[in-house]
Amino acid sequence: MMEKLYLIARIADTRVALRSRAINSVVTVGTPVHVPAAPPHVAGLFALRSRVFTLIDPHVVIGLPPVPVAPGQRVIVVDVAEHGYALLADAIEDVCFIEAPETRVAGKLLPGWARVADAMIEHEGHSLLVVDPSHFVTLPVAKAA
Amino acid sequence: MIDDLLNDFLAETAEILAEAGGALVAWEADPADRAQLDAIFRLVHTIKGSSGFLSLPRVTALSHAAEDALDQVRRGNRPANAALVTAVLAIIDRLSGLCTALGNSGTEPPGDDSDVIGALALVDDTPVAAAAPVEVEATEEDINTDLLQSWRSIRVPLPLLDSVMTGVTDIVLARNEFARMLRESGADASVIASFDRLSDSIAGMRQSVSQMRMQRIDKLFAPLPRIVRDLAQDLGKKIRFSTSGGEVELDREMMENIRDPLIHIVRNAIDHGIEPLDERVAAGKGVTANIAVSARQSGNQIEIEVRDDGRGLSPDALVAKALSVRVIGAAEAKALSPREKLELIFRPGFSTAAKITAISGRGVGMDIVKANLEKIGGVVELRNDEGRGLSIVLRVPMTLTIISGLMVRASGQYFAIPRGSVREILLETSDSVRIDRIGGGELVTVRGEQFPLLRLEQVLGGEVDASEDRDDRAIILIRPGQGMSYALSVAAIHDHEELVIKPAAPMIMATGLYAGTTLPDNGRPVLLLDVQGLLAAAGVDASEAGRSHDADVEAAAEAAAARDAAQLLLFCDVGGQMRGVRLSVIERVEEVPAAALFESAGAVQVKIGSDIFPVHAAAVPRGRDAVKLLRLHDGQSVLCYPIEAVIDIVRLPDAVQTAPAPGLIAGVVLIGGQPVELIDPFWLMAQYGTGQAAPSLRQPLCRIAADADGWASNFLAPILRSAGYRVIGGDEASEERPDVQLCLTEAASGPIASDVPLVRLRASPAATGPEDDSIYRYDRAALLEALRRQVAGGRS
Repeated sequence: MMEKLYLIARIADTRVALRSRAINSVVTVGTPVHVPAAPPHVAGLFALRSRVFTLIDPHVVIGLPPVPVAPGQRVIVVDVAEHGYALLADAIEDVCFIEAPETRVAGKLLPGWARVADAMIEHEGHSLLVVDPSHFVTLPVAKAA
Repeated sequence: MIDDLLNDFLAETAEILAEAGGALVAWEADPADRAQLDAIFRLVHTIKGSSGFLSLPRVTALSHAAEDALDQVRRGNRPANAALVTAVLAIIDRLSGLCTALGNSGTEPPGDDSDVIGALALVDDTPVAAAAPVEVEATEEDINTDLLQSWRSIRVPLPLLDSVMTGVTDIVLARNEFARMLRESGADASVIASFDRLSDSIAGMRQSVSQMRMQRIDKLFAPLPRIVRDLAQDLGKKIRFSTSGGEVELDREMMENIRDPLIHIVRNAIDHGIEPLDERVAAGKGVTANIAVSARQSGNQIEIEVRDDGRGLSPDALVAKALSVRVIGAAEAKALSPREKLELIFRPGFSTAAKITAISGRGVGMDIVKANLEKIGGVVELRNDEGRGLSIVLRVPMTLTIISGLMVRASGQYFAIPRGSVREILLETSDSVRIDRIGGGELVTVRGEQFPLLRLEQVLGGEVDASEDRDDRAIILIRPGQGMSYALSVAAIHDHEELVIKPAAPMIMATGLYAGTTLPDNGRPVLLLDVQGLLAAAGVDASEAGRSHDADVEAAAEAAAARDAAQLLLFCDVGGQMRGVRLSVIERVEEVPAAALFESAGAVQVKIGSDIFPVHAAAVPRGRDAVKLLRLHDGQSVLCYPIEAVIDIVRLPDAVQTAPAPGLIAGVVLIGGQPVELIDPFWLMAQYGTGQAAPSLRQPLCRIAADADGWASNFLAPILRSAGYRVIGGDEASEERPDVQLCLTEAASGPIASDVPLVRLRASPAATGPEDDSIYRYDRAALLEALRRQVAGGRS
């Protein structure tokens, strides 16, 4: 059942379906603490219930310029290898079950998306990229296009 | 259900086995110790009982055999001897092996134990062994109290403990948030009062929870007696092993990290440190060697010392060894200082044994020990006494997770620095700091000592913020490891706080600049700087060897020291008054816990490390956690002077309004228009003597009858005073009859009192003839001896 549950969000200017298994919660953050000399996709640190989370900017992972973090920004909290991360999201749309099967990515994607997208899925008449949130954390940052 | 039972059994048995091993060795040392035997019997009996319940036939059979044998001894049917102990230890080893297998697979592996059980029966015929080869001083009370303690404690799974810890941290953060909101909302006093009560109990709870993570260091020591015994037997050495300070507590994670290094060091001591018996005899030592492991807490650090009375380290042998295994080159070898020679043992690829033995040479070297210690923020120290023994001291922070951190600002952001590596903090604008730009790099000279200067903003890849107040900029002298130091410039110093440290995300740790993250009370994450990583990132060599103060630039350092002589340390007295003291007499400023101060024989004293120093205070200060002390040093003795805070270091003005009478205050100077009282270190030191002459004793009066060109008052008088004499000049009137008088043979004869013993001094080293009883004036020992004789004679 859980396999069919997806979080539909707008990340790095693209609507995607995130596999919900790895997702912890969706929260809002204030101004994050900057981490000097960190890799460019690290947008900063913030605290949530006495845990420190590392904020990831998916734009940079995809190869787009970074976006500033606005107070009240919604982020998707995920756990990867026992560390807490949060992905900056442009918008959170919905959590829903999608009965349709995941299909192989058809067509040519931007190189950044090609690296993070696992598959495609049909939802309410739109094709969405299926992404595992951990890819934004673990993959090396794409060179700016 | 059965799994829970099994887990409990395994945890309990592991503990019992460790305890039984140590108790057995202690019992072997003193077979008459009935209490010890009873304790071991009970332990084995417990294992037998619980294994029967869980139907573990092998465990039951093994423990039954051991119990049986021990029971025979208790009934007096069987002698207690080394062979029996060895056989029981073999059973204990087998039991440990079985338990490990049980833990892994959940079932008891099939196998045959008749060998170890048989060995137990065999020893019946062996005669009572002569002297036990190993003596272990484990005190009986220790074991009894442990038994008592185990009745009064319960087992809690570690994850539960950790989740309680996280929960409490959450509560603290929520409380802080709530406190902020309360302040802003202007709630009424009764609400705030009850909130404060809640706050206090939360603080108490946080404390208790951190204590729950602490374990007595006994646990770490428990396997050592057994290791010492077995190794000593293998090598044919006789060793008396003792432990102390087992009640010291340490975070359980920390404990895991020092277990292997400690065992390695003890093994090393037995294998390499302790000489073979004949060599000990030849060296005039007892055949039984001593190895002592002790733990003590000092501040928020734990010191664990392993001391042996073996041969110690030979610096020359170490160098020869290092050369032969090509750890260093010949040129480097020549340049090594004595300490660096000893520290060769920490180099990778170095092993002190002429050949790698089965015991110590297991691929774990002292380099790994050192690396492991450094990983958890600890250090390893060597105290070598060649020919007489070696002490290895491991110094570790009490907990991994909570450290004392200094908060600093750079580029408008806060960072934490572990307090333990901070040596000194100075304002960049201070008089004692000189910054030089050379060849694009920066160098700071503090009181004649040079340090490479790193600006935190630049190391972190930013620029120094021009809008920050330059006067706030501070320099932190950092000692990231032994023999290394550098200066870190930051925009401002904030304060220090106890910080809960958690590892940062791998991609942040990978920068090498940070050691973790922490959440201070304001709820915004702060990065903990890796003081060693900063160095690596800056690409600076921070080794102290070959720096200015070592060789050719020594003269320059001396000139700087001369300048310091005219510098004044301004501080705020405990009474809140601004006072000053010449910087040159201050050895350092020290902060000690208030508990280190105590009163003895009407005088306040302080314990710093293993030394005790007098403190200039009428009473032990109350109601504070820590006390700042100025350490005054006159070359021989130390006196501590409590202060509130250091204010600044300034140039000592020329105009000093001297005080009318000698006392604590030498005079008053104006600093920036403010009157500042000058402390008279001379008077202060005189009050607290050097321990040789109690201040209450009357000091003999020495009169300098005739002085040539002021030599006596400039050169001689200070020596006399430090030797406990009061000195007056020839032309000073004194109501008191001098005990002794001194005159220079060459000087124009002054008024010499005929009724006072006289010591004559001459300027030339050689006496003019056999009847010449004068003393060469630079022969300090003869001079003081003659004075002493005359004073004693005059009194008798």
